[in-house]
Amino acid sequence: MTRQNINRFALIIVGVVVFGLPLVLRSPTYLHILILLYFYAYLTSSWNLVGGFAGVLPLGHSAFIGIGAYASTILSLQYGISPWIGMIVGGILATIVGILIGFPTFKMRGAYFALATIAFGEGIRVMVENIDNLGPLKINGPRGLQIPPTNIGFGNYMFAGKEPYYYIILVMLVGVLALTYFISRSKLGYYLNAGGEEPEAAMSLGVNVAQAKLIAMAISSFLTALAGTFYAQFTLYIHPKSVMSLDLSFEIAFIALIGGRGSIAGPVLGALLLRPVSDFSRIYFGATLPGLHLIIFGTVLILVMIFQPRGLQEPLTRAYNRLLDKIFGGTGQKEITHEYS
Amino acid sequence: MNADFRFWGKMIAIFAIITFLAVVPQSSSVWATDNVVKVGNIIPLSGPSASVGEQGKNAREMAVEEINAAGGIKSLGGAKLEMVYADSESKPEKGVAEAERFINTEKVNVLTGCWNSAVSYPTSAVAERYGIPFIVPVSVADKITEQGFKNVFRIAAKDSWWTRDQFAFLKDMGKEFNTKVEKLAFVYENGDWGKGFAGQWKVLAEKGGYQVVLDEPYPSTSTDLSPVVQKIKRARPDVLMLVSNAADAILLTNTLAEYKVKLKAIIASGGGHADPSFLKAAGKNGQYIFDIVEWETDVNKPGAKEANAKYNAKYGSNLTGEAVDAYLAMYVLKDALERAGSLDPAKIRQALATTNLTGGPGMIVGYDAVEFDKTGQNKHAALVMVQINDLGKGLERITVWPKSARRAGYTPIFPMPKK
Amino acid sequence: MIYILEDAINGVLMGSIYGLTALGLTLIFGVLKVINFAHGSLLMVGMYAAYWSIILTGMHPYVALIIVAPLMYLFGYYLQDIVIKPIFKAQKDVREPITVIIVTTGVWYILDNLTLLIFGPAYRNIQDNPLKGKMLEIGEMFISVPKLWGFVTAVITAAAVYWFLQKTRMGRAIRATSLDREAASLMGINQFKVYNVAFGIGTATAGIAAVTLVPFNNIFPSVGVLFDIKGFIIVVLGGLGSIGGAILGGIIIGLIESIAPQFMTATWTEAIVYGLFLVVLFVKPSGLFGVKYDW
Repeated sequence: MTRQNINRFALIIVGVVVFGLPLVLRSPTYLHILILLYFYAYLTSSWNLVGGFAGVLPLGHSAFIGIGAYASTILSLQYGISPWIGMIVGGILATIVGILIGFPTFKMRGAYFALATIAFGEGIRVMVENIDNLGPLKINGPRGLQIPPTNIGFGNYMFAGKEPYYYIILVMLVGVLALTYFISRSKLGYYLNAGGEEPEAAMSLGVNVAQAKLIAMAISSFLTALAGTFYAQFTLYIHPKSVMSLDLSFEIAFIALIGGRGSIAGPVLGALLLRPVSDFSRIYFGATLPGLHLIIFGTVLILVMIFQPRGLQEPLTRAYNRLLDKIFGGTGQKEITHEYS
Repeated sequence: MNADFRFWGKMIAIFAIITFLAVVPQSSSVWATDNVVKVGNIIPLSGPSASVGEQGKNAREMAVEEINAAGGIKSLGGAKLEMVYADSESKPEKGVAEAERFINTEKVNVLTGCWNSAVSYPTSAVAERYGIPFIVPVSVADKITEQGFKNVFRIAAKDSWWTRDQFAFLKDMGKEFNTKVEKLAFVYENGDWGKGFAGQWKVLAEKGGYQVVLDEPYPSTSTDLSPVVQKIKRARPDVLMLVSNAADAILLTNTLAEYKVKLKAIIASGGGHADPSFLKAAGKNGQYIFDIVEWETDVNKPGAKEANAKYNAKYGSNLTGEAVDAYLAMYVLKDALERAGSLDPAKIRQALATTNLTGGPGMIVGYDAVEFDKTGQNKHAALVMVQINDLGKGLERITVWPKSARRAGYTPIFPMPKK
Repeated sequence: MIYILEDAINGVLMGSIYGLTALGLTLIFGVLKVINFAHGSLLMVGMYAAYWSIILTGMHPYVALIIVAPLMYLFGYYLQDIVIKPIFKAQKDVREPITVIIVTTGVWYILDNLTLLIFGPAYRNIQDNPLKGKMLEIGEMFISVPKLWGFVTAVITAAAVYWFLQKTRMGRAIRATSLDREAASLMGINQFKVYNVAFGIGTATAGIAAVTLVPFNNIFPSVGVLFDIKGFIIVVLGGLGSIGGAILGGIIIGLIESIAPQFMTATWTEAIVYGLFLVVLFVKPSGLFGVKYDW
């Protein structure tokens, strides 16, 4: 058995388990936890297209979530348009905004870029918080918009149980991972990689680095906005602080960084590791020692960055390969520790 | 090399075990045994509202201790109330998640919460979906009881009642002290709560024939409120109406004093102004401010003083209106459970709906009965206005309105004297 | 007309205090080339330190400088040494390790919540300090006395730091390292010592800023967050690494915050500040007074 076949087999098993889980797992709470887990994994993977592959540090991505959420919600509440269509509209809007933001900011280096994205993210949030009505559109500022849980049905993106939401977000997650895989092996992927490390050299070879980054940004913002609609339809209540906050932008970025940005598995791994830490420490400690879960989160951040700055996916991948070596005997496959795993 | 693998192998194994333990379904539903009634409480224990969240917790704890010590719920064989708490961080999605967890994993029989209206609102939808009774002690947003839900029971008055009473008070003061009030200034925090109040104020001002000279939302997290205070000063209103959280209430009060803004009266809306840290931090600058609350320590009800003294001894500060709501909520729950005689959520809900509580340790509120109307709103919830003043024993909050509730021997100071 | 003048004065005074809070940030940003997200938290720690010093001894708020400034210097020095240096060492060849940003965020979360855990969420205030509520009345204008003290302190501190950077040996070492790390170390400058000192000074200035804020501001665990973002905006506005730029940037923000609300609601002022920030980033990213560094 070649290593490739083993990997494919493992993937299939994981796929079966994950898709079959709701049939075995009945508790809505745990489904809820898993749904949120996939949600974050999706967000970080979408972020990864810019933050990982393009090599910059965008810290304002929650703005796209907000755009997606508000677009589909306003269209469905006020005009009765199906949230699925609203979702696409939100995605397109987000793409436009993303490109507009990308144009000037990609010229900047590291820290400036990060600050600029923060300013954009917060600026958009502040504006939404201050606007009650934008022309005919009801935005409701800080009071947010509530979606009544009526009109159940696929067409309305509204379900009684959790299972449909589980599958939707799972499919979205698989989709973004597949997309990332294909991009990483495409010309776009190579351009981004080159542009991230040595932009001048790349450009001298005729690579349009700027364009590549913008394309990545467009895709990333589109995908992120789709998650916004999902969130709106799942929690049925959105307001600026919940869908457009700086905390959310930071969380997405940090999960990807800890998992290992630039890789495909990294962001998902990061979500897998950090979300339970955050949730469980809030559940067990939240009532007695408020804020402890954030202390734990902060400590984990620091420790991982000191000891494994490229993210945890590297040592985990190495361990995985070594485990397989032990079981199946070495197949002469060298350890691959470059960006695309 | 091997050591590295073993270490990481262990990490993965541990991690996998943790995640999948979290994921493995519980083998049988853990129904509350007959000796315990599980109550899930979702309140802000961290974040900007942590200080009020803590008071809500303390008040509940005090009530539950008393109830359990007195024998628990007799119709359930002496079952004790068991409280579990969750931190909403004042975030709606966390409140919703915790509600789901309480209902599905912890299997609570009743839910209470969540202080922030923005959190109570979506959480009520969760409770309704699962048919678990949800007692809302404090959140005032009208819409919480306007959703047509059957499982929501709110103790506090709706916010439209608060604003209605604020204006009624103003009118009465003007008459009692023969002072003309024409120009109003509205200054409010830029959130759900503030904007909600302001919207109603504008309507009430128009009805009352007042002139609104300033309508100023401000970010609650401002570091410097002097520009806002300057605007107030220059608009020259007769009366200033405020909706503020604790930090900005303190900042505004101090800044208003610094700039020597002359007003006939300041009317606050509870919240930050009712927070215990406000009196301490604002000191003399807070004198003569009127505040609207559900309850005050001098309310003329049996047991009120004793309860307050007990709370103060235990937790180091006085009961606030919101803490009293939480305290009362526990007694309303006890009363309902006694009448339901069962842990069946539908029966508990039915018992709550037919509540007519007129006595008992919980009724230290200013009004005389707890009765829920068809929408789950406590019909009799009433408010009082207090004035902050120093009668020789330090600054305190003195009930002044309605006249029937006014503390004996005290005449409110209206308009404010030139300091 | 008088109104605008009064607002402008308030803006300048408050703005200079903002600039003071951002002073440490620009120094750290300029020298270490990292965004220190923990800066607001350091400010908060300074405020608590000042609060307790004053409450326990009843001293005049500004006397607390004697305790707070050195304390914060040491705190910053060792924070950099213990927590941040390992990352620099591990990523020697990366000019601006992004991981440091994450580490400072971790420090922020830890500091803020540890404070919450230890001191509780209550809002504290120094009630009877000699500066509280004092106003200078010039004709019809009111000028806040504590803010005036803050302004003077800000200017003196800025001048002192500038002098330090220009005239002392260590100061020159710091400037050299910020311009070119490798060349400086080739010249025999201990890179990490420089970082430690820079971080120490940056944190000490946050401590000084804290002392100026304590007479009139609330003290609570998350107070630093408010100043954090503002600090970054000021730093970019004024120019990375420019001391004068930080103070002036702060004053500009202060002016906007004081004057703009007279023409619109205070909530839109926030949006304007972000908007201005973005404009500066695009038009002149090195800021008003910054030198164009080759990042």
